[in-house]
Amino acid sequence: MQRSRILGPVGVVWFLLTIGVIAYATRLALLIAPTEATMGNVQRIFYYHVPTSMLSLLFPYVNFAASLCYLYWRRRDPLKALTADAWAITSAEVTVVYASICLWTGMLWGRAAWGIWWTWDARLTSMLLLWLLYVSYLMLRKLSSTGQTHTLAAVLSVFAAIDVPIVYMSIQWWRTQHPAPVFGGGPDSGLDKSMYPAFIFNIVGWAMWGILLLCFRYALERRRQAREQDAALKAIEASLELAK
Amino acid sequence: MNLSWIFGSSMEAHHLLWAYLSVWLIQGGYCAWIAWQWMHTPKSSAADDPTVSANPED
Repeated sequence: MQRSRILGPVGVVWFLLTIGVIAYATRLALLIAPTEATMGNVQRIFYYHVPTSMLSLLFPYVNFAASLCYLYWRRRDPLKALTADAWAITSAEVTVVYASICLWTGMLWGRAAWGIWWTWDARLTSMLLLWLLYVSYLMLRKLSSTGQTHTLAAVLSVFAAIDVPIVYMSIQWWRTQHPAPVFGGGPDSGLDKSMYPAFIFNIVGWAMWGILLLCFRYALERRRQAREQDAALKAIEASLELAK
Repeated sequence: MNLSWIFGSSMEAHHLLWAYLSVWLIQGGYCAWIAWQWMHTPKSSAADDPTVSANPED
């Protein structure tokens, strides 16, 4: 009770702070950052596309770590396993949200810059595969009714995490349609100094938003787990009454 | 610089507007879904009373 009394106001303050940072970052991206010389204003999609893409490659590792913890604890300590499982489903959902935005904003940018919505380029294909893996993870958890669902999902998550470094390295291993890495992509890579504030504020803002979603969704999952335990407990009590 | 160019009729203006709007819609929609679920998932009785044991034999 004490903890929830503190977490509520902290969550509200974090939410307001996050909205403030995102609003300021959006203003920088749309109004302050200079117009890019070759692509024009459509390049401003970059300020949302790149931060969400980078974050969509971080959240799968939360899912990966939580799934490993679940597999380790499921027989040793079921209560800790439940906590790990809540983090796993939470991070999988946030991964799907961020990966969807990455794919969608990339398509909007590609149509305006390349004249095509989609191409089977290494980066785009591996990112689509990542999205499909986490959507299948969520579908498995939603639709499967066996007692082993959580274990199967945790194993799938371990395999899904293998795709993350492939997505990250794809633009270095295979030089196809997608632009080279902006950072660390060779002598011509990098951003103009005047574009850094918009980029940095957007990555900070969307990271704060991601943390907010993770914590809020985790709290919801824990509440659901508590409800399920309640229902199971009542069923056991009812069966004991019947047995008397 | 003002924002009037973003409401122009060019493809780049449309795509930029859609990119920003859809990000807010997807993120806001997901957050609203969590909030809705939160309001429709009542707290468990055990959460209100920490003395309640999970073991019916206690």
